[in-house]
Amino acid sequence: MQKILIIEDETALNQSLGEFLKEEGYRIVSAFDGEEGTRIAKKEKPSLILLDIVLPKKDGYEVLDELKKDPETKNIPIILLTNLESPEDIQKAFDKGATTYLVKSDYKMEDIANKIKETLK
Amino acid sequence: MKFINDLNLKKQASDLGIKVWQTPGFLFIMMGVVAAIAMTGTYYMSKNYDDPQLLVIAESAVAITILIIGNVIVGIVEQVTNLNKAKSEFVSVASHQLRTPLSAIRWETELLLTKMKKGLTEKQISNIENIAEQSRKMARLVNDLLDVARIDQDRLILRHVSVDIGRISEEAVKSLAPILKAKGIGLAFSSSRKSAKVLGDPEKIRMVIENLLGNASKYTINEGKIEVKVSQKDGSVVFSVKDNGVGIPKEQQKRIFEKFFRSDNIVKYQTEGTGLGLYIAKNVIEQLGGNIEFDSVEGLGTIFSFSLPAARHE
Repeated sequence: MQKILIIEDETALNQSLGEFLKEEGYRIVSAFDGEEGTRIAKKEKPSLILLDIVLPKKDGYEVLDELKKDPETKNIPIILLTNLESPEDIQKAFDKGATTYLVKSDYKMEDIANKIKETLK
Repeated sequence: MKFINDLNLKKQASDLGIKVWQTPGFLFIMMGVVAAIAMTGTYYMSKNYDDPQLLVIAESAVAITILIIGNVIVGIVEQVTNLNKAKSEFVSVASHQLRTPLSAIRWETELLLTKMKKGLTEKQISNIENIAEQSRKMARLVNDLLDVARIDQDRLILRHVSVDIGRISEEAVKSLAPILKAKGIGLAFSSSRKSAKVLGDPEKIRMVIENLLGNASKYTINEGKIEVKVSQKDGSVVFSVKDNGVGIPKEQQKRIFEKFFRSDNIVKYQTEGTGLGLYIAKNVIEQLGGNIEFDSVEGLGTIFSFSLPAARHE
């Protein structure tokens, strides 16, 4: 079973996405801030990470930087899942090595699940 | 006073959110008047009193007055700039903050309607579907408001990647088809076989296409017909949507791309709508180097089309 790490500080979002993806057949690990997320990513080495940008302790860009620097985690695909949507933010995310960038309020979880499937293919 | 009216200081004041006497226009006039009076005064003084000291004092007084007025102008300009900055920050912070609860509502309802549907009654499902539909609309509204704020501040940044107009149109037509079928409106889609690629922002172009299709569908009533066409012409890709809907009254056609504008006749048919879609569409298309136009006869129908420079074949 493939493991997905969700790093999202908003409990409601973290939970509903987790439940949805569980039903889609993934194992879910959750983190609620950037530090916890980085730690879990390094320990659990998930198949894919869903990462928010506005996060307590460490923001998504810092998490991205740190995980891409570590040879053990640098190949894990990271999908940014955020409500920031300016082209600057999108470009910055891709520059730092994000696989995909999705604006939360524009996407259904079904679309996100499809993106995950596509990425893990 | 006519001269003052012509300068339209009142409008300037209300646009900038300040009082009439604070408008730079008014203050410049004041500065001019002060300078003229001062010069006349100095002239008479130098004619009647042969005292260089007095002249120096008078000149200094004039210089100080002008300096004070100039300072007030600079202060007001700064104030207005800060106000605009605060306004734009407010819009982007507010939209970001609105998005989080919106995402939560959308995802929770989706969860209920998909993975947890078992055991729900039909009535409950329909209630949840309504919540989902309304939150989708609200998400769109938030996006529109943010786009408008960016356009107004010349800060709309667009991506320039390869976009296939034919494919996006086909997808948009497909997702609209069930709604049109339910309304009994016929739909025809045709696309030239050649590649219809342009350089642009895929999300924004999709938004423009969805908006034009959405308008055609909203404002076409019984036994309507909508034709969507993607073609190539003189090095451009042209998208057009033609309907036999309510049309736009002639006297209101020139205002159709204005922000918040909605024509009288459509308000009658369809109360829903913000009048932002076409304003955003025009700005997006023009910023991508294209143009958008329309032809409409009230009661007969409308054709909207935009063209964008075709991307060179790779």
